[in-house]
Amino acid sequence: MLSQRIANTVFAVLVILVSFYFAWIAEGFEASGLLASSGLPSKFFPQLILGTIIACAIITCYLYGIKGEAGGDAGETVFGNAGDARRGILMLIVSVVCYLTWRNFGFIPMAILLGPLSLLAMGIKQPYIYATVWVLTGCVYLVFTYLLGIHLV
Amino acid sequence: MFDLNALMISLGLLADPLTITLLVVGIVLGIMIGILPGLGPPIAIALALPFTFYMETIPSMILLLGIYSAAIYGGSISAIAVGIPGTGAAIATVQDGHKMFKAGRGGEALGFSLTGSIIGGLFSVVCLVVISPLLASLAVKFGPREYLAISVFGLIVVVRVAGKSLPKGLLMGTLGIFLTTWGLDELNGTERFTFGTYHLYEGLPLVPFLVGVFAVSEVLIGSERALQKTRFNMESLKVKLPGLKTLVGLKDVILRSSIIGTIIGIIPGEGAAVGAFFAYSEAKRRSRNPEAYGTGIPEGIIAPETANNATVGGALVPTLTLGVPGSPAAAVLLGALLIQGLTPGPKLFSDRPDLMYAIFIGLFVINILMMFIGLVAIRFAARLIMVPTSVIVPTVLLLSFVGIYSVSYSFFNVGVLLGAGILGYVVRKLGYSIAPLSIGFVLGPILENSLRQSLTIADGSFFEFFNTPIGLTIYAILVLTILWGPIISRFRRSSTKV
Repeated sequence: MLSQRIANTVFAVLVILVSFYFAWIAEGFEASGLLASSGLPSKFFPQLILGTIIACAIITCYLYGIKGEAGGDAGETVFGNAGDARRGILMLIVSVVCYLTWRNFGFIPMAILLGPLSLLAMGIKQPYIYATVWVLTGCVYLVFTYLLGIHLV
Repeated sequence: MFDLNALMISLGLLADPLTITLLVVGIVLGIMIGILPGLGPPIAIALALPFTFYMETIPSMILLLGIYSAAIYGGSISAIAVGIPGTGAAIATVQDGHKMFKAGRGGEALGFSLTGSIIGGLFSVVCLVVISPLLASLAVKFGPREYLAISVFGLIVVVRVAGKSLPKGLLMGTLGIFLTTWGLDELNGTERFTFGTYHLYEGLPLVPFLVGVFAVSEVLIGSERALQKTRFNMESLKVKLPGLKTLVGLKDVILRSSIIGTIIGIIPGEGAAVGAFFAYSEAKRRSRNPEAYGTGIPEGIIAPETANNATVGGALVPTLTLGVPGSPAAAVLLGALLIQGLTPGPKLFSDRPDLMYAIFIGLFVINILMMFIGLVAIRFAARLIMVPTSVIVPTVLLLSFVGIYSVSYSFFNVGVLLGAGILGYVVRKLGYSIAPLSIGFVLGPILENSLRQSLTIADGSFFEFFNTPIGLTIYAILVLTILWGPIISRFRRSSTKV
C-alpha cells in the first residue's frame, strides 16, 4: 500500500511546484483606475502567503526525507487496505460524474444515478439499501421542491 | 449597554411558536446527526444551512445553535453504546463510557454524559453572556493593527493545536488563507487568480467551501468504511440521571472541566475535541486514583462531556465579538450569519442587540431542553447507530449538492463544494488537519486587509505593528500560548497513553 512517506513527499513537491506557478501568475497582477497606486501592490499578500506555503512544504519534504515521518506517522499507509482505497477513489469519481451529469443532463438524471452509482462504488449488494437510498433521494427532492420551493433543474 | 427594548423583542421572537419548534427540531436533529459516526457539528450545521436561507435571523440562529449544542452531546451516545465516537469531541468518552456500557451500566454512563453536557453548556453560556459584551466594547476601538494581531493569534493557535506536525498545520492554514486571495482585490480592484471567469470576481464562496471541506470529504472517507457493521445492545440504553449527592462528589471535576472547556472554546482551534481531551487528562492527573481511568468510571465520562459542551459558549465569544471563529463549527455558523447579511464583530452588539439576547437566552433554553429531549429521545435516536454508512454517504452527498445549489442556483458553487471536498479528502488522507484550512479560509480576508492597512499606516515599518497596547497584549498572549504548546503536547501524549 501507498505509504504516508511517499504520498506526503509527492504532495509537498506538487504544492511547491503549484505555488511557484501561482507566484509567477501573481507577478502579472496589474491595478487599474484611480486606486492603482494606492497602498501595497496586489501581488504582495498572495506572494507572501505562497512563500510561507513553499517554506512549509520544503520542511515537510525534509521531515519525510530525513526522519521518514512528520507528526508520528512513520510506517503508516494512506489507505487501510486495497478495498478501502478502491471504495474511496470510486466514490470520488462518482461524485464528479454526478456533478457533470447534473450540469449537462439536469437534476433528475443525476438524482437517479447518484444512489445506485455510490452503492456500486462501495460494493453494496443488498437490494433494500438501494431501495432505501432511492426513497431518501425522492424525499430530498420533494422537500426542496415543494417545501422550500427550490427549482431543481 | 443593556437594552431593555431589544431584550423584549428577542423574548417575543423566542416565544414565537415557529422559533420554539425550530429549537426542538434543532436539538433532535443535532442529537441524531451527532450519533452518526463521522458527522460532527460542522457537518450538522452545514447540512441545515440551506433551510435557514428563507428564515428570519433569530429563528435560523436558534435552529443552528440547537444543532451545534446537541450534536456535540449526541456524539457521546455512540461513543458509549458502541465504542465509536459520533464526533471527535466524544473520543475521550469512549474509554470509560463504553466500558461502563459493557458492564451493564450503560444507562448510568448516558446519564453522566447528559448531565455533564448540560452543566458544561450552561456554564459556558454564563461566560458568553459575561465576557462577550465586555470584549465587544473593547473591540470597537480595534483598528487594523489590532485585527492583524487577532488574526495572527487565531491562525497560530489553531495551527499549534490542530495537528501533530507544525509545518503540516501551518501549510493547511496558509493554504486556506491563499485561497481567499482569489477574486478582485478589495482595496484596488485588481483581478487576482480569476482565470478569466466572472464567477471568481467575488472569490471562492465561503459556505460551499466549508461544506465541501467538512461534509463532502467526510462522505468520501465514510465510503471507505461502508462495509463495516455495527451491533449493540439496546437494553442498556435507559438513561439513569445521577443523584445530587453523586454530582456534589464530582463537583471539582465538573467545575474544572467547565472552565477548561470554556477557555479552550474561546481560543480558536479544534474546540470540543481538544477541550474534552484536556479535561480528561487533567481529571486523571488530579485524581487520587488515576489508574481507575479507562476502566469505566463516572469521572472519565463527566470530565470530557462537560468540557466538550462548554466549548460551545466559549467558541461563540470570539465568533460573535471579533468575527474570528472559535472552532470549525463556529466557522460554519459564522457563514450562516454572513448569509443572513450580518457581519460578526463588535458592531453586531450595537446593531443587533436583539439577536445577541436571543442567542444568549436561546442557548440557555437549548441546554435545559436538551436534558428532557435527551431523556425521551435517546432510545429512539440511538437506533440511528444501526443506519448503514452506505445509506448515509449518498444521502449526505445529495443534501450537500442540493443545499449549496439552493443558495444561489449556481453550478459554480456546487463545483467549489466538490473541489473543496476533494481537497479536504486528499489532505485528510495524508494526515493533515482540516481545522487550520477552514479557519485560515475565514481569517484570510481579515488578515490581508489588516496587514496591508497596517503597513500603509506604518509607512512600511513592521515595528509599528507593536506600537499599540492592545495589539502588544495580544502578541504577548500569543507568545505565552506558544510556550504553553509543549504543555498541551504533554497532555496529548498522556491522553494517547491513556
